[in-house]
Amino acid sequence: MSGVGPVEPGEHTLVRETPPPRPRGRLALRYERHRRTVLASATVLVALAGGGYLYASRPQPRPAPPPPYPSQAIDLVYVAPVTGPPGAAADGFSFTVLLSVRSGPPVTVTRLTQPYDGLSATSSPAAPFQTKSHSARKIIVTLRVTECEKAPRNPGLPFLDVTLRNARAIEAHSFILGTRYARDLSRTLAVACGNVSR
Amino acid sequence: MRQRSLIAITAALAAGALTLTACGSRDDDGGGSDSGNGGGGTTVVIGVDAPLTGDLSALGLGIKNSADLAAKTANKEKTVEGVTFKVEALDDQGQPSVGQQNATKFVANDKVLGVVGPLNSSVGESMQKVFDTAKLVEVSPANTNPSLTQGVDWQTKKVRPYKSYFRTATTDAIQGPFAAQYVYNDSKKRKVFVIDDKKTYGAGLAATFTQEFKKLGGKVVGTEHINPDTKDFNAVATKVKNSGADVVYYGGEYPQAGPLSKQIKAAGAKIPLVGGDGIYSADFIKLAGASGNGDLATSVGAPVEELPSAKEFVANYKAEGYKEAYEAYGGYSYDSAWAIIEAVKKVVEANDGKLPSDARAKVVDAMQDVSFDGVTGKVSFDEFGDATNKQLTVYAVENGAWGSVKSGTFTG
Repeated sequence: MSGVGPVEPGEHTLVRETPPPRPRGRLALRYERHRRTVLASATVLVALAGGGYLYASRPQPRPAPPPPYPSQAIDLVYVAPVTGPPGAAADGFSFTVLLSVRSGPPVTVTRLTQPYDGLSATSSPAAPFQTKSHSARKIIVTLRVTECEKAPRNPGLPFLDVTLRNARAIEAHSFILGTRYARDLSRTLAVACGNVSR
Repeated sequence: MRQRSLIAITAALAAGALTLTACGSRDDDGGGSDSGNGGGGTTVVIGVDAPLTGDLSALGLGIKNSADLAAKTANKEKTVEGVTFKVEALDDQGQPSVGQQNATKFVANDKVLGVVGPLNSSVGESMQKVFDTAKLVEVSPANTNPSLTQGVDWQTKKVRPYKSYFRTATTDAIQGPFAAQYVYNDSKKRKVFVIDDKKTYGAGLAATFTQEFKKLGGKVVGTEHINPDTKDFNAVATKVKNSGADVVYYGGEYPQAGPLSKQIKAAGAKIPLVGGDGIYSADFIKLAGASGNGDLATSVGAPVEELPSAKEFVANYKAEGYKEAYEAYGGYSYDSAWAIIEAVKKVVEANDGKLPSDARAKVVDAMQDVSFDGVTGKVSFDEFGDATNKQLTVYAVENGAWGSVKSGTFTG
């Protein structure tokens, strides 16, 4: 106890009268009657709202990235000429390429061709054929000279054109098989069309 | 009292919910600091040399910004623990002599452990020896002349001239023939007029195109060299018109290619102009005007829309708010800078988390074995320092914008 009591009103001071209680409204009266229920309901509502927000904003697993475009998922490399009967034709040249699917879903070759006038191409297996993911298959390509006048003489970096399809897209893509392929193709062209001038 | 405790419980529940919510949203941000200096400790400078002013600045600024983005990303992700990367860029103005001076400046700064650039092959040529003597690695995102990595006699005998030089772009040994194959086989053009700007890049590219076009059976009906300091090509345009050519091949860059295309069409030769990555810029289209529709360019790499990694780069570049576009070499510049970051990482990790005293030489050695999935695909280097990923795309001007027409991959 400090011994200091409430301050009494002195001279020239007025006692502040306690305001009369306000008449309670109907809502307040109803609240008084159902206070427990109201508070319990409010608590439940806040808890539900918080929980719902937490659920809605929970870290979502990232959607799986779309599969790669087929041209970005495969390798197509020149292996070697095919020796023996298929490659022995004077007007043609057979060779093996290796197609590997590095990633993504299976890739289907829907078309395999070469871009030069005067030449035709066939393949074994014939298109369309599918290669599964993380696997490789050998393809034998046979080129035949159909018109020496139109065939290229000595292409430096010849293409092989393929149309590829996977779950992502269909796309045409050229593969430049390199100098060994160029040399082997030029040799064939020289044998088949050696005496033909254009 | 009971009322008070209920209020307190409610408040506590609400506060708890809000706290947990805040935790949840932080997870979504992916964590990490937003600061550009996440690594702390040692500062490593990645130099950038490119034309930051002048005609070619659109490409040069794209190179600088993209390298900067790589450094910021590495700092944010703390890619190399204890190392903060900083980019310092110098302007070579597209001039070999200025590039050489810049190379000397980079060498003198011992914080520089690698340089991204330059744009021009002629500038690259002038810098190589300076960097190699100092054992400072250089990774060009844009030099395409084959002799830089394979020696001047690259067509007969490939010899790597400098161990410290690498590049992420494909060479003109492939780009020229690739263009020739497209022009001959797909566009069915048979008579070409070849023009170049006499520079290392332009003359080299025109030569590799010409050689392949002739091998395929095409005819070269005229050749000309232009002066890159002028924009008046009317005399050449008249020669093109009179030659009967059905296509023009130009070895050079867009500041000259744009007006050249316009003046050739104005002279009455309504034939496409074809060029290499040096003309693959939005500025070419502006300079060539409406008559440039149908002109073609080959450029290094696959189209951006085919590479998910490139899409991420594009989004991050935009988010960073760079004023200039990343242009043709943005992805390659990011990958060049990232290759340096990866090489530094290898060196630091092999030395108990610290940079060794001979860090530059170690970074050159480490670069040879760098391999990662970059913006432009798999990034690694062959025995000459050339990119192992060799993709090219033909683009055509259609309705005032470049659109991809055909892509190819060198697998030889």
